Amino acid sequence: MNKNETVERRYLPEISRKEIDELKNTVKVSSQKIIADNIERMKKADPHRPDAMKYFDDIANLFGRRQQEIQAEKEKGKKVIGYLCLFAPTELISAADAIPIRVNSGWYDTSKLGDRVVPVEVCPVIRSTIGAKMIELSPFLEQSDALISVLTCDGMTKLSEILSDQKTIWGMNVPRIKDSTQSLRFWSDEIRHMKTQIETFTGNKITRNSLKEAITVSHRATKVFRRLQELRKGNPVIMGRDAMLVNQAYTWDDKKRWTEKTEALCDELEKRVQQKDWVCNSDTPRVMLTGTPMFWPDSWKLPTLVEEGNPQGIIVADEQCSGERILSDPIGVDEWSMDDMLNAISERYLMASTCPCFTSKDGNEDRINWLLNKVKEWNVQGVIYYVIRGCMLYAMEYSRVKKALDKINVPVYYLDTEYTREDVGQLKTRVEAFMELLNARVDF
Amino acid sequence: MAGELIGSILSLIVLVGLGTAGVLTVLIWKKNRVARVTFLRFVIQAVGLAALFFLFSLEPSIPLLYVLITWFTVTLFLGRFFCGWICPFAFIMDIESLIRKTLKIRHRLLPDKLNIALHKGRYLILAVFLLLPLALWLLNPPPNTASAVMMAQLLAGPFRPYSIIIDPLIPFVVPWTGQLVLGSVNLSYPYIGNILTFVEATPGQIFAVVFVAVTLIGAFFVRRVWCRFCPAGASIAALNKFKAFKGVPLLYIEKDEEKCPKCGVCKRVCPVQVNDVYEQKGGKIGTSQCMLCARCVEMCPYEDTLKIKFGNKPVFKSRNWLESSIVNEERKIE
Repeated sequence: MNKNETVERRYLPEISRKEIDELKNTVKVSSQKIIADNIERMKKADPHRPDAMKYFDDIANLFGRRQQEIQAEKEKGKKVIGYLCLFAPTELISAADAIPIRVNSGWYDTSKLGDRVVPVEVCPVIRSTIGAKMIELSPFLEQSDALISVLTCDGMTKLSEILSDQKTIWGMNVPRIKDSTQSLRFWSDEIRHMKTQIETFTGNKITRNSLKEAITVSHRATKVFRRLQELRKGNPVIMGRDAMLVNQAYTWDDKKRWTEKTEALCDELEKRVQQKDWVCNSDTPRVMLTGTPMFWPDSWKLPTLVEEGNPQGIIVADEQCSGERILSDPIGVDEWSMDDMLNAISERYLMASTCPCFTSKDGNEDRINWLLNKVKEWNVQGVIYYVIRGCMLYAMEYSRVKKALDKINVPVYYLDTEYTREDVGQLKTRVEAFMELLNARVDF
Repeated sequence: MAGELIGSILSLIVLVGLGTAGVLTVLIWKKNRVARVTFLRFVIQAVGLAALFFLFSLEPSIPLLYVLITWFTVTLFLGRFFCGWICPFAFIMDIESLIRKTLKIRHRLLPDKLNIALHKGRYLILAVFLLLPLALWLLNPPPNTASAVMMAQLLAGPFRPYSIIIDPLIPFVVPWTGQLVLGSVNLSYPYIGNILTFVEATPGQIFAVVFVAVTLIGAFFVRRVWCRFCPAGASIAALNKFKAFKGVPLLYIEKDEEKCPKCGVCKRVCPVQVNDVYEQKGGKIGTSQCMLCARCVEMCPYEDTLKIKFGNKPVFKSRNWLESSIVNEERKIE
């Protein structure tokens, strides 16, 4: 974006090209190492990992295949529209023949760079994304022609402002009370506005048929996602980390191909269920993660600790916007007219979400219900409430979640951490203590 | 004679055919619930239409008192099930919606307040329906001298409860009973038809034409517009209002609070804009607006969240409609 480069930088510091390149290379090399290491560990944890995971290992390399593919598409004239929050209507982007891609950063190293712009108290996801932008690290963030930012939490609100120094940003205002008619009306106006914005930007009109096609594609993805989730309900056939990676890969992969590959994975897993080929003992404590999103690759810190600890745990479900929330709700279209499809999209993104940025007459009761339901359906024995320092909304909702889970006698563990690798040892002790507790409960 | 015989044989064949189609659809649907309820409903409505047709054209006719007694008993237990699944007038409105859908025209929503006002106003409409004959009679006294008898008939007419319930259906079931003919097209709206038996005045006829036009054209744009203030619904609603009957309905919608993330689909797909399914926290959904058409249960994307129960036995559950249920059942783990 040549136009934007001349714009005065209101937030981001001036860094020399040389420094950018140096930093970028260092972080990129170390990040590639971490990606390889994560995958290596995932392979080691499950000696005969499903063959279908090979594809996801490949796509998990953020600096590899997918980056080149998007570059090729861009050269053909396709636009790439990034989004910072799950509320962005990706179906509209796909319907306008652009590529939707999530650009939140999971690099620990860049969060230190973000400290130059915002104070350390700010949520590390935000700091890390700012840092990634400063050194042009994230391939997807660099490739996106425009960004949709949904102003959910404080961090996101200001992040969009900070990134607007260098990117075209479209903000979407999300109402905080989600169950009132006026909120829905407001939000569906935002969605319709976003539709015209995307149309003018890409030059492609979103037609009834293209939108229907896009919705059908995401329906298929949801279908196969639910199939995978269903498989995780029984005895463990897949490591939680693998499933989490599959889920998260959806946000940057090609949707149709992702669906095919995940179907192949599910086929393989189903065979394993028949052969009773489990990845670990069936009495391994079943853990659910909830809280702040965990972005690939660096935030795999905690899941790795859970699944490689001694005693070991297995992650069977999560309630995070980097995980299951991406795909758990389908778009319930009633009549396939343009109007109804847009209504359905706006309802799916606003009302079905269990993001803690919402409140309603009963507080964020939907999230509590959703959690309780997950705990029961997936036979969860313990919940890890993961919060990174600075993530106020999740941290503040903890007490209510704890009370609700106490009622059904499921232990919940509040685990706060940072975007840093320094506390791995300490976390290991904490996680293993929790696993010990869960194990003791299983023995009873 | 021969013609009549052939005619009745043909109609019998039609009835048997429709009945078999209905049974088959139910069987197929029970086996594989991916088949949409909407199509099941069309078949049932068609069968219902045929059944009512034969009911009304039976010779000798069934005493309406029996129909009435059956009707009230059924209503007690099944609520407005009739409205959602059998009513021929609703069938016509559903077909209109189908045509609208194929033409890719969007449907309109009535404002919530108006919808609730109409729902409550149905009693008013009912009252108007009851008083209209009287008013028209007073305006245009029939030429017949035996006016005392006429008056008695007239006043008694609307109070025959079955006529409130069944009369709106007559033109679609037995079209030739109507009195109102434009050209060669029978436009008669039956209840108005009854009125016009006594009053042959132009205002009444104009009113009838306008009324039919408004409901039928309105139903093209607003789904099931007539059901929102149908006097037939009023009588059932009134029945359901009594506390004593609250526990009686055997057929009802139940919602599982924990499984519901309140995505709002149930609210949007409802053809009569019932908000209660969305707003109520869980348990039995009790509202006389609901016609038990099961559209919300069909469209709810979360498994087992909404159920239609008969007694304590769920007959139809919301399921993951993205997935074929046959595959789903095979994959029970442990």
